[in-house]
Amino acid sequence: MTAAPNLPPLPQAADAGLADAVPAMGTTPPAGATPALEVDHVSRWYGNVVAVNDISFALGAGVTGLLGPNGAGKSTLLHLMAGLLEPSAGRVLVEGGSAWRRPGMYRHIGLVPEREAVHAYLTGRQFATLNARLQGVGDPDAAAARAIATVDLTEAADRSIGTYSKGMRQRAKLAGALVHDPTVLLLDEPFNGMDPRQRLHMMALLRSMAAAGRTILFSSHILEEVERLADSVLVVYAGRLAAAGDFRSIRRLMTDRPHTFTVRSSDDRRLASALLADAAVFGAELVDGRVLIRTADYEAFTRALPRIARANAVSLFEMAPTDDSLESVFSYLVRR
Amino acid sequence: MTVIVPLADVTLRGMLGRRRTILLVLLAGLPVLVALLIRVSGGRPDADRVLDTLVVRFVMALVALIVGTGVLGSEIEDGTAVYLIVKPIARWRIALAKAIVAAGLTAALIVPSVLLTGLLLGGRSDSMTITVAFAVACLVGGSAYAVAFMTLSVFTSRAFLLGLAYVLIWEGVLAGLLEGTKFLSIRQATLGVASALGADISGDPLAANVSVAVLAIVIVGGFLVASWRLARFEIRGGD
Repeated sequence: MTAAPNLPPLPQAADAGLADAVPAMGTTPPAGATPALEVDHVSRWYGNVVAVNDISFALGAGVTGLLGPNGAGKSTLLHLMAGLLEPSAGRVLVEGGSAWRRPGMYRHIGLVPEREAVHAYLTGRQFATLNARLQGVGDPDAAAARAIATVDLTEAADRSIGTYSKGMRQRAKLAGALVHDPTVLLLDEPFNGMDPRQRLHMMALLRSMAAAGRTILFSSHILEEVERLADSVLVVYAGRLAAAGDFRSIRRLMTDRPHTFTVRSSDDRRLASALLADAAVFGAELVDGRVLIRTADYEAFTRALPRIARANAVSLFEMAPTDDSLESVFSYLVRR
Repeated sequence: MTVIVPLADVTLRGMLGRRRTILLVLLAGLPVLVALLIRVSGGRPDADRVLDTLVVRFVMALVALIVGTGVLGSEIEDGTAVYLIVKPIARWRIALAKAIVAAGLTAALIVPSVLLTGLLLGGRSDSMTITVAFAVACLVGGSAYAVAFMTLSVFTSRAFLLGLAYVLIWEGVLAGLLEGTKFLSIRQATLGVASALGADISGDPLAANVSVAVLAIVIVGGFLVASWRLARFEIRGGD
């Protein structure tokens, strides 16, 4: 668990270092101001299965990434915030009012769901116009045209959505969510299916919207997406809030943890003894014809390894991290 | 009421996909086809019997089942209902728009079918009375079926199967065997209305006032229950 230096520190959690109070994310709202989005000790369970477990945070303007492996509870959390699930305990507030059973709050919220299904028989323009009309926007056609231009879909706007690629559907969904100019935008895995150019365009768009004072929360199971876009991050693992705060601090936690690598070389014994002399390495042993190396400094080790191998005239054939899956990173964060 | 129009519009577009439209038109056209065959083969024209056994007992219920479970249930299943739900609209308006389309589309398919079938089979002096009686009964009965099935689809993803079981097992078998359960049957109430308006219904149809009350309760109650449920709508799936 960590917090950005310029953000209120997360109070010590009562349970195994998990965030327990209400950390403020994004640009901290001024004292006394109502955060755009507040999740207060929210849990959600289905029978005996706990999908979201006592999570609290508050969001102000800025881009926040909701990071976690598949099945961690990200979508459940987003659905709770979007008023599409009732909290089993706790409460979700949007612009100061409850998110559950209060349709009026959708004037403030734009939602881009993860599921791909959109009304396939409508054109992109008709879909955006429908959203604008249902939002009660003054000039639905103009609002739809603006939203379509914003997401760079003008050329395909008059084709039926059924003919769209996955990335175009994502942009059509985003256009539908932007027609009423919401202050809070919730996006569930928005980059799924987008090509690199569309991804960059979407990131730039979300950044500019955040700069204009909007609160944007997007979920992703891909660390690099969050790293490139989010000012701050919420890490969810097994339904718990594992970490919250400035992305760089959490990234440091992720990379500074003990790492293990296996290395196969022309002379494993000589390489192991040479590596043990390096400050970045605190353990090296020969296991199954490979050197198993433990290091506390990921970057220093990856820089030192080729240098040490060359100095000792050892050829490196293979190097592989043994625990670098996102799953293990999240699990490590939770244990902290 | 301004949101009712776009809601109804998108619902109707969704319902009139090519395959479903063909299926619905074929179903609704079946009684007309049977009537034609009777006329061509020189069979005895008996509008009461065809309209009772074929339209009310079979075609109307099936058309209403397909339409009723389609207007909202299929959107909930495929996830597109979310785009209607996350709007600053009272949920009863969504239920109302869906109910209007369900009832209207069912009536638009069944009433012309009844009229054409009745006209083709008309041979008796009171054939027009019989045809109009069935048309009015099917207008109300079809609406009741459609709203009931729409409401069922808000509760369960198995609305079509449950609806089919209701039509075939409950109404088809049990309501005929157990006299006291007649008032729990939309079909019996529809036949009761037709009988009150002059159609010749076999057996002992429900009284007119009871029939009208049953159908009114199903339509209004179904709409209220669907609104109540939609106000507590929870998305299915997700991690």
